[in-house]
Amino acid sequence: MSAVLQNLVNQPYKHGFVTEIESDVAPKGLSENTIRMISAKKNEPEWLLEFRLKAYQQWLTMEEPQWPNVKYPKIDFQAISYYSAPKPRKKLGSMDEVDPELLRTFEKLGVPMHERAALAGVAVDVIFDSVSVATTYKQKLAEVGIIFGSISEAVHTHPDLVKQYLGTVVPVGDNFYATLNSAVFTDGSFCFIPKGVKCPMDLSTYFRINTEASGQFERTLIIAEEGASVSYLEGCTAPRFDTNQLHAAVVELVALDNADIKYSTVQNWYAGDENGVGGIFNFVTKRGLAKGVNSRISWTQVETGSAITWKYPSCVLQGDNSVGEFYSVAVTNHHQQADTGTKMIHIGKNTRSTIVSKGISAGHSNNSYRGLVRIAPTAAGARNYSQCDSMLVGDQCSASTFPYIQVRNNSAIVEHEASTSKIGEDQLFYFAQRGIGGEEAVSMIINGFCKDVFQQLPMEFAVEATKLLGLKLEGSVG
Amino acid sequence: MSVATASGYLESLLQGRAQLPISPLAWLNRLRAEAVERVGALRVPTTHDEDWRFTDISSLTKLPFQPVHAASPLQTAEAERFYLEPATIRLVFVDGMYAPQLSTQVPGAAGDSGIVVTHLSAAVSAHATTLESHLGRHAEFCNNAFTALNTAFLHDGALIIVPRDVAVDMPVHLLFIATQKEAASYPRCLLIAESGSAVTVIEDYVALQQGVYVTNAVTEIALADNAHVNHIRVQRDSGQAFHIADCAVSLARASRYQSTSIALGARISRYNLNVQLAGEGAECAVDGLALITERQLADTHTCIDHIKPHGSSRQLHKCIVDGAAHAVFNGKIMVRPGAQLTDSVQSSRNLLLSGRAHVDTKPQLEIFADDVKCAHGATVGQLDSEEVFYLKSRGLSEMTARNLLTYAFGAEIIERIPVSSLRHRLKQTVLEHTQRN
Amino acid sequence: MIYPDSKSLLEVRGLRATVNGIEILKGIDLTVRSGEVHAIMGTNGSGKSTFAKVLAGHTAYEVTGGTVLFEGKNLFELAPEERARAGVFLAFQYPIEIPGVANNQFLRLTYNTVQTQRGKDELDPLEFDDFVREKMKMLEMSPDFLDRSVNAGFSGGEKKRNEILQMALLEPRLAILDETDSGLDIDALRIVANGVNQLATRDNATILVTHYQRLLNYIVPDYVHVMESGRIIKTGGKQLALELESHGYDWVSSEQRAAAGA
Repeated sequence: MSAVLQNLVNQPYKHGFVTEIESDVAPKGLSENTIRMISAKKNEPEWLLEFRLKAYQQWLTMEEPQWPNVKYPKIDFQAISYYSAPKPRKKLGSMDEVDPELLRTFEKLGVPMHERAALAGVAVDVIFDSVSVATTYKQKLAEVGIIFGSISEAVHTHPDLVKQYLGTVVPVGDNFYATLNSAVFTDGSFCFIPKGVKCPMDLSTYFRINTEASGQFERTLIIAEEGASVSYLEGCTAPRFDTNQLHAAVVELVALDNADIKYSTVQNWYAGDENGVGGIFNFVTKRGLAKGVNSRISWTQVETGSAITWKYPSCVLQGDNSVGEFYSVAVTNHHQQADTGTKMIHIGKNTRSTIVSKGISAGHSNNSYRGLVRIAPTAAGARNYSQCDSMLVGDQCSASTFPYIQVRNNSAIVEHEASTSKIGEDQLFYFAQRGIGGEEAVSMIINGFCKDVFQQLPMEFAVEATKLLGLKLEGSVG
Repeated sequence: MSVATASGYLESLLQGRAQLPISPLAWLNRLRAEAVERVGALRVPTTHDEDWRFTDISSLTKLPFQPVHAASPLQTAEAERFYLEPATIRLVFVDGMYAPQLSTQVPGAAGDSGIVVTHLSAAVSAHATTLESHLGRHAEFCNNAFTALNTAFLHDGALIIVPRDVAVDMPVHLLFIATQKEAASYPRCLLIAESGSAVTVIEDYVALQQGVYVTNAVTEIALADNAHVNHIRVQRDSGQAFHIADCAVSLARASRYQSTSIALGARISRYNLNVQLAGEGAECAVDGLALITERQLADTHTCIDHIKPHGSSRQLHKCIVDGAAHAVFNGKIMVRPGAQLTDSVQSSRNLLLSGRAHVDTKPQLEIFADDVKCAHGATVGQLDSEEVFYLKSRGLSEMTARNLLTYAFGAEIIERIPVSSLRHRLKQTVLEHTQRN
Repeated sequence: MIYPDSKSLLEVRGLRATVNGIEILKGIDLTVRSGEVHAIMGTNGSGKSTFAKVLAGHTAYEVTGGTVLFEGKNLFELAPEERARAGVFLAFQYPIEIPGVANNQFLRLTYNTVQTQRGKDELDPLEFDDFVREKMKMLEMSPDFLDRSVNAGFSGGEKKRNEILQMALLEPRLAILDETDSGLDIDALRIVANGVNQLATRDNATILVTHYQRLLNYIVPDYVHVMESGRIIKTGGKQLALELESHGYDWVSSEQRAAAGA
C-alpha cells in the first residue's frame, strides 16, 4: 500500500471524550433482581415486568450465535452494568432545564437541539446512556396526533399502544441479543404516526454511551398507521475506553396499509484504537414489518464505528405489494470487524425488495456482507434485486459476501450481483497526473462508490455521512 | 436425530470392512486406520450444520447399507448401452468392484505413450511411490464423515497417470454401474496429470435398474505444471438412490482444469468439489447443471480456492427444477492473501418450472487480497416471458416455446462437453425431460 | 513549429530508469523547445511509453541516472501532481476507469486545481459547464459524456477524446501523448489530431509517442526520434517517419549497426 493510502486511513476518533456528569449506575451483574430493579426504577406496569422476566428465562437457555464472520473474546454478562442514567437535578419541564453539561456534550457532537433544532427543522429525542433526556418539538408534533418521545414515557402515557406492538416484530425469543434486550432494555424512542398523517419533519434520536462498563440496551418502536409516513434518523457516538462496551439494541417498525417508514442510521460508536483495543460491540436487531398492503419500509445505514458490528436491518414483507429497501455503506479500518447486511422476507404477493450494499475495508479490518432473500410459497410475483460491492484499501484487509437466496415460488425473480474493486495505484496516478492530490482523489473515489446509498439519506445526514467517511479515510481533508 | 445414534450409524456401516483384504502397503493400511478413527469421531451431518443447512439426509440412516462382496455377473449385453462411441479407454466398476470383463485395455498408440489407466489394486506394486504421494492426500477427510468412510473402505478404484508432455486423444471413460439394492459402494478415482500432459476423463454413474442404494464416491485429481484436464462428471443414478461424492483437485503452475458436472439422478445427491489453484497462473472453469424433478434433491457445494497470484476461475452453475424438487448450490470463491491479480467470475442461474419446486443458492466471495477482480451473480426465476412471447409470435405454441427455452437453458452447459456422443446423449435427456410437461 | 529564438522547455540528459530492477531506459538525451512538436517512434518494448511515464512521475519506475529539467527546474523534485500543476500533461495510453466519479465533477476539479495554481479564479459549476461544452464541440463529443463516470464503459476512441478534452482544459506547457492514436478509427484519429493541432501554440510543446506513422499525417512533427532498447538511436525531420513506414524499424537498427561497424 502506498504511503498516501496509509496516511489516509489513520484518523483519530473525534467523539471520544467523557462527559463529567453525576450518574446513577446500577451495580454490575444480571439476575432476576436486576430486572426487577430496572422495572421498579422505571415504575413499570406488571405486564412489562412479566415481558422482561419471560425474556430473561428464555435468554438463560440460549447460546451466543457462532455463525457470524467475527472473532471476539467471550463476553462476561455479569461484568456489565445494566442501568446507568444521568442524575437529574430535578424533574425536567423543558429543554432549558436539562443539565448544561449534557447540552454542551450534544453541542460538541453536533446534535441539533434547541435553536439549532429549530433551524434544522428536525425533532430530536436524546438518549444518554440508558435514558431519554430530552425531546424537542413534542408539542408541535402532538398537534397533528404524532406521539414522539421516550418509550419509558410511552409505557405510562400510551400503555395500550406499546402493549399492542412491543415484541410483535422481534419476538421475545428471536435471538440471543434481542432476547437479552427484551429482558433489560432501559429506554429508547417511541414513535406513533396516526392514520393518514404525513410527519411534517424528520424525527431523530441521538444515542450516547457515556459510562464505562455499562451496556446500552435501547428499544425503539415505530408505528405508522394506514396511509401515514415518517422519516426517522438515528445517530450514535460513545467515548473512548480501553474496555469493550456492549450495545444490544432492538428496533421494531410496523407499517400498516399504504404506510411508509424510512429509517436512517449513521452509526459512529467508538471503534477501538489502531491496535484493536476497546470499542463498542454493536449487536443489534432491527426489523420492520410491512404489514399492510402497499406499505414500504426503507433502511439506510452508514456504519463507520464499533469494534464489531453485527446487524441485519430486515423487512418482513407481509402485505401484498409491499416494498422493502436496504441501502448500506459499511466502512471498517484498523482491526474493526463488520458482519452486516439484511433479510428480505417476501410473504405477500407482488412484494418487491432492493438491496444496495457498499463495503469498504482498510487496515487489518474484516468486512462481510451477509444477506438473506427468502421468497415464501405465497409470494407470487415477488421481485428482488441485490447489488453488493466491496472495495479494499490495502492488502491486509478482507471482504466477504455471503448472500443466501431461498426461493419457494416459481413466479418470483431474484437477482444478485456482487463485485470487488480497490483503490489502486493506477487510479491515484491518473488523478495525480491531472493535478489532484492523493487525499482528494481517495475522497472522490469513495464518495463515488457510495453515491447510490448517500442519495437515500436525508440532506442533514448525507452531509454528516460524507464528513464521517472523510474523517475515517481521508486524513486532513474535510 | 441424536448425535449418539447418528455416530452409531456410521460405525455400523464400518462393519463391512471386515472382509477387506489387508494391503501390502503399510502406509495404505495406516491411512485406512486413520479414516476409521475419524469415522468414529464424526457423526452424520444434520441441517444444523451450516454445510448441510438445506440438505436433510436423515432418511439415509434408515437402512444399514453394506458393500457387496461378490461381483455381480454382469453381461456385456447389459452394460453395453452405457458405453460411449467412438472408442474410449474404459474402466468399469460394478457395485464398486472392478469388472475386467467389461473394461478395455489402453490401445496400442496410446499405450506406447506410457499412459496408465488401470484399477488401483493392480497398480500397488508398480506405482507405489506415486500412489503414496497422492492417494488420500488431496481429499481431506478430517471433517467429512463421508470422505472418511470412503477412505476407510479404500481398496480398489480407478487410477489414471498421464506422463509428462503426453496428450491423450481418446477420452477415458470411468463407468460405475449400480446393480444391487440396499448396497453401499465406495468408488475411488485418482488422476495424476504430469507436467504438460492433457487428458479428458468422464466419470459416469449409472444404474441398471431402479432401487435404493448408496454411492459414496471420492475423486482426487492432481495437475502438475501446464497440465490440462477436462473432467466430465455425469451422475445418473437411480431416482431412489443416495449419491454422495467428494472431488478434490489441486492445480500447479499454469495448469488448467475444466469441469462439467451433470446431476440427473438420485433421490438425494450431494457433490462437493474443491479446486485449489495452488500454482501461479492456474486456471479453472467449473460448470454444472442439475436437472431434477419429483421429490429429488440435488446439492452442489463448490469451493474454488485461489492461493497464488494470476489465477483465474470461471463458474457457471445452472439448476432446472421441476415437480417438488429442491436444488441447492453453495459456491465459495476464496482469494487468499498473496493471490493478487486473481480474476474470478461466478454465476448461479436457476429455473423453477413448477410451483412446488424450490432452490437455495448461496454464491459467496471471501477475499483477502486487494488487487483482484471478482464478481458473482445469482438469478432465480422462470423463463423470460419476452422470449416466450417472441417464439409464440413466430408461430410456436406456448408449450413448444417453453420447452425450447428450457432445453436451451440446460444445453448451454452440455455444449461445454467435448465428447460428442455423450453430449448428444445428454441433450436427448434434457429434451425428454422438457417434453414431459 | 521551430522558432529560432524560443527557449528550452525540457532538457533530458542521460536518463536511465528501471522497473522491478530491470533497466528500461538506458541513457536518453532530448531537448524540447517551446513551439515544437516531437515524435518518438519505436517498436513495442523500445521504452517509449516508459519514457512518457517517467516524465509524468509514475511510481512504478525508478530513475537510476541522468537529469531532467523542465523550464530550468529539476523535474524529479516534484510529485506527480506538482508536475501536472506545473504544466506537464500525459495523455494515457490506457486511460484509467473511475466508476462512480462523474466526468464533469472530475474535470471541474482538475481544472480548478490547476487554475488555482496559476493564480487564476476557479469556475463555479455553471460557468464551468458552459466552458467545457465549448471545448467539447472542438472534439465532437456529446454532452452526455459529462454525466457518465470517468472513462467507465467508454469505448477506446471515447477515452482518447476524453484525454484530449482534459488537455484542452488544462492547457499544459508540455503535452506528452502516449500512443493516443492506437485503437482509433480514421475519423476519430482526424478529430483527435485536429484537437491537438488547435491547442498547439508558440508557448507550448508536444511529444507524440507512437508506433505508427499515420498519426503524423495529421500532426506534423518538427523532429522524429527513433527509440530502440531504451535509447534514441536516430533523429531526423518529418521525412524520417515516412522512411520508417516504408522500410520498417529494422532498417534503422541495421543502418545504425552498419554505422557502428564502420
